[in-house]
Amino acid sequence: MSILYLLIPLALVLLALTVWAFFWAVRAGQFDDLDSPAVQILLDDDRSPEGGAASDRDA
Amino acid sequence: MPQSSDSCCFHCGGVLVPGSRYAVEIDGRTHTLCCGGCEAAARLIVAQGLGRFYQFRAGTGATPSAAARNWAVFDREAALRRYTHECADGERELSVQIEGLHCAACAWLIERSLGQLPGVSDIHVNAAAARAGLRFDPQQVSLSALLARIHALGFEPLPLSFAGGAPEWTAERRAALKRLAVAGFGMMQVMTFAVSLYAGAMQGIAADLEQFLRFVSLLVATPVVLYAAQPFFVGAWRSVRSGTLGMDVPVALSIGAAYLWSVVATLRGEGAVYFDSAVMFTFFLLLGRYIEMSLRHRAGMQHDALARLLPQSVLRVSGARAERVTPDELHAGERIRVLPGERVAADGVIASGASEIDESLLTGESAPHARGRGDTVLAGTLNLSGIIEVSVARVGQDSTLAAVARLLERAHASRPRVADVADRVASWFVGAVLLLAAAVLAAWLVVDPARAFSSTLAVLVVTCPCALSLATPAALAAATTRLARQGLLVTRGRALERLARADRVVLDKTGTLTWGEPRLQTVRMLATRLTRARCLEIAAALEAYSAHPIARAFAALAPAATGATDVHPAAGRGIEGCIAGVRYRIGRREYVLEGCGAAGRTPPAAPPGGYTCVALGDATGLLALFELADGLRADARATLQRLRRLGLTPLIASGDGAAAVAAAAAKLGEVEARAELTPDGKLALLHALQSAGHRVVMVGDGVNDAPVLAAADVSVAIGGGTDLAKVSADIVLLGERLAPLAGAIESSRGMLRIIRQNMTWAVFYNAAAVPLAAGGWLEPWMAAIGMSLSSLLVVLNALRLLKVRRAGAAPQLRPAARAELHA
Repeated sequence: MSILYLLIPLALVLLALTVWAFFWAVRAGQFDDLDSPAVQILLDDDRSPEGGAASDRDA
Repeated sequence: MPQSSDSCCFHCGGVLVPGSRYAVEIDGRTHTLCCGGCEAAARLIVAQGLGRFYQFRAGTGATPSAAARNWAVFDREAALRRYTHECADGERELSVQIEGLHCAACAWLIERSLGQLPGVSDIHVNAAAARAGLRFDPQQVSLSALLARIHALGFEPLPLSFAGGAPEWTAERRAALKRLAVAGFGMMQVMTFAVSLYAGAMQGIAADLEQFLRFVSLLVATPVVLYAAQPFFVGAWRSVRSGTLGMDVPVALSIGAAYLWSVVATLRGEGAVYFDSAVMFTFFLLLGRYIEMSLRHRAGMQHDALARLLPQSVLRVSGARAERVTPDELHAGERIRVLPGERVAADGVIASGASEIDESLLTGESAPHARGRGDTVLAGTLNLSGIIEVSVARVGQDSTLAAVARLLERAHASRPRVADVADRVASWFVGAVLLLAAAVLAAWLVVDPARAFSSTLAVLVVTCPCALSLATPAALAAATTRLARQGLLVTRGRALERLARADRVVLDKTGTLTWGEPRLQTVRMLATRLTRARCLEIAAALEAYSAHPIARAFAALAPAATGATDVHPAAGRGIEGCIAGVRYRIGRREYVLEGCGAAGRTPPAAPPGGYTCVALGDATGLLALFELADGLRADARATLQRLRRLGLTPLIASGDGAAAVAAAAAKLGEVEARAELTPDGKLALLHALQSAGHRVVMVGDGVNDAPVLAAADVSVAIGGGTDLAKVSADIVLLGERLAPLAGAIESSRGMLRIIRQNMTWAVFYNAAAVPLAAGGWLEPWMAAIGMSLSSLLVVLNALRLLKVRRAGAAPQLRPAARAELHA
């Protein structure tokens, strides 16, 4: 069971990293608007206004 | 799913006059529009390749105005300083409140469209707050160009004076999220260790490993208690200092006691630890708080009433020089020139010129007043026909408009608050819990001191008023969300509860049961020289030069004939202008007859009462007579019938003449009606109903209704109404329909039913759990889980409110959009 003395501190380090990452995301405004981004992926269009497919050119 | 039907405008959803020629083509389909404003906005959207907006938006938008606005005043140094903030690299930051933005698709549209402008380096539109944050390079793109683009898309931009940083509620939300995350992650870890410890207690565990696990638990629980649970300690301290017992007191007591006890036990290496209970308790309480806060933020839409009623620019005159400045730059004693269609920027006295002034904002009266030299005009009123010069007397906070806004604020503050009652009840409940806990502690100290602490802690945790305090906000949040989908905005949570109990509904007539503005009823052709359609075109072209409500009725009807030249408005009488070489006059009959001299025919009999008559003529005689009247809303009768079926007796309270009110009441199906009421009379009527024991819903629009709205048990404003009324109402109907009101009453009653179920459950749960905890059969961790499950049940029950008849309410994809997604 002595492996626990390594694994648990390791888990704590990961915990600290997770909390830090979450704080960063909150500060960066990732949670300020939870409604718009869900729809934006549907709305964003690869076609240019003229009707040509921009993504085709990229491919 | 229905294809965009041709009975409504494709862009704004407004009523479409048959034969409208405004149209826009999207992916090969032609869609009909109601007016030039919608056409311009729709064409701009399609031309930028953003036509998908129409497939994904959650509802139709406001009708944009066709008139181009001059935004140049925002390029003045004073405006730039006030509304933007300079960053280190020379770019400027701007924050804009956007009216008419109500769904994610609107936000996307604005982001894409403005993002295409050169010089815009960053834009984020928050749909929930209806706010846009921009970063732009003033060398490449001007502030006025940005605002003009938002306006051209069919929205109304209101630049906010730069306060620096994110708005207050963003900061509150971010702090709450961080605390929630610390508590959540901490809870997962501590629970893992706790399960190991419990398993170890049963199966045997090495003493040093056990002590290690306890220390690790202490390490993780410390930030949870000291950081995440801070609001509870602060709240408890505040309520103890003010001599009351708030909900926070037992919460802080149980978290603090569990933590301190466990710290001592860990350091001494003996006795039970309760880190798991403390941490879990903190997390679930924070979760409840977070839900409640989200609801509060959604409800508390911040409006700056003054900012939106004052014009954004004003023409200042000094000697022969005239320049556009922002209203902030005005001072008393200066002189301003107000053009037709502009709002007056400050209180003052007319120094020269004469015009008709629309004061409906302050008086609620829709008929304009003739004002001339020496008359007083007030800030926020609308100049309809002539050019006037005003000598400024009072600006900004000294103006009458600001005083009205302050009065409204005070009216809100003095309202009876249901929340106080809830707090008093909570205080008793908390007192009882603390006494009970003390009694349990004393009893166990006598019987079995070893189990005294854990049993007392279990009592404190299990009686947590979590389910009780979540029962109402969760149901409110669900009901509010559902109503928003139906086109109804609840600005105060308490309103829904009172709406469910209401038994009377008092409705204003003008602007509430009726459209509030004249609409064309009949066209009488008096000459055969021109067709009916041509007459309407000419009328629309000439009336485009006036901001009078009557003129707006024409703009919506027909595309204006092009090429009107040499146009002269005659204040209060009519307009003269040349189209294709022919001189026409439109307006009052006498004015038009003057224009055709002796050739004029005697006009036919006057139209029936309540109608306004507009004549059109050329040099040889009258061409047509247009009769306009304010009509009832299409769904007024059906809505009143539905309200009656729900047990609400409707009553019309109007300031209009008895004949007009009686006619409307008859058309609506024999509704009781009172006519010729002053605002005081309406207020007296309302008080009489309330003292007779009725709970009254007041539906109105004008600002003269504002005191009546504020005194009603529930106030409802129609979205088309004036802005101040919107701010003061509990509930705002978005759009032009009355029907959502009846739906709101059904929803609010459903909500009340759910709240009662939730309360019953919370009481039942406490009654069952407290004896178990006091008897020592519950460990603190079991109490925490029980408490959480109870809360979860309450929230899930509330979510049922969202499910009821959901079909049709969710944003709909048109078939074309779905096909594309599947392709």
